[in-house]
Amino acid sequence: MSTPERDLLRRVGEASVLVLVSLAGGPKHGYALIQDVRQFAGVELGPGTLYGALDRLERLGLIEPLPADERRHPYRITAPGAAALRLHLDSLERVSTAGRLRLQLGGI
Amino acid sequence: MSVRQAGEGRLVGAALRCYPAPWRRRHAAEAAELASLLIADGVPAVSIAWSYLAGAARAWLAPRPGRSLSTAAAALLAATCLLGFSAALIAQTAPARAASRTQSPSSSILPTTKPASRGVARYSPRPFTPCRPAVPGQVTGAIPAVGHRQPSIPGTTHARSC
Repeated sequence: MSTPERDLLRRVGEASVLVLVSLAGGPKHGYALIQDVRQFAGVELGPGTLYGALDRLERLGLIEPLPADERRHPYRITAPGAAALRLHLDSLERVSTAGRLRLQLGGI
Repeated sequence: MSVRQAGEGRLVGAALRCYPAPWRRRHAAEAAELASLLIADGVPAVSIAWSYLAGAARAWLAPRPGRSLSTAAAALLAATCLLGFSAALIAQTAPARAASRTQSPSSSILPTTKPASRGVARYSPRPFTPCRPAVPGQVTGAIPAVGHRQPSIPGTTHARSC
């Protein structure tokens, strides 16, 4: 029996997942991340929350900084970051499917 | 730069100064620039400063390598201080309690002396109980109070210093 892969993103918080989803579309710096997350998720990330998420993801090795462009530090998703995001999204999809099915069966 | 912009800059700068030094060295310049861009977009400076303050609190609380050892050392130091303080408090109250127990009733049943210090050692009056006669030579636990003459009743001995 194979050991199930650990979902690293389960405990990192929603902001970190949103940042990782945004970086999956390409490298971005702070301001671009906030705008992108607002656009695709409708969530207004505070700058303090953003830097907390970036630090956490970097510590986990899921993202990495690129050389600074003037004062801005762009970040990009790493290969382990992409794998962790895929695993997390699969898990969310299973939960979402189960939830929708049960709502349908329950007639709610 | 207007007075308002200067005030907003100071507010955000003050919030950024709350972060740990390593964070500031790495992110402060970029964070200040990000704040100015967000303010230009119409985001209130107060909400940006608040977000940075909350982020600073999280940054201080986040576990870092080497933090666990210093936390344990701080906890040990605090526990030692607490134990030392408790021991000192007990040591301070013990003589006063002992003194209140070895009071001689030769002067009166209730003591006329004041407790050693207010709030630390209080005298709790006990009901008067007559002395039990005992066989001479079997009197134990009778500790004569220093500076007080032991009362002696002819024909009887007493089991305790009363």
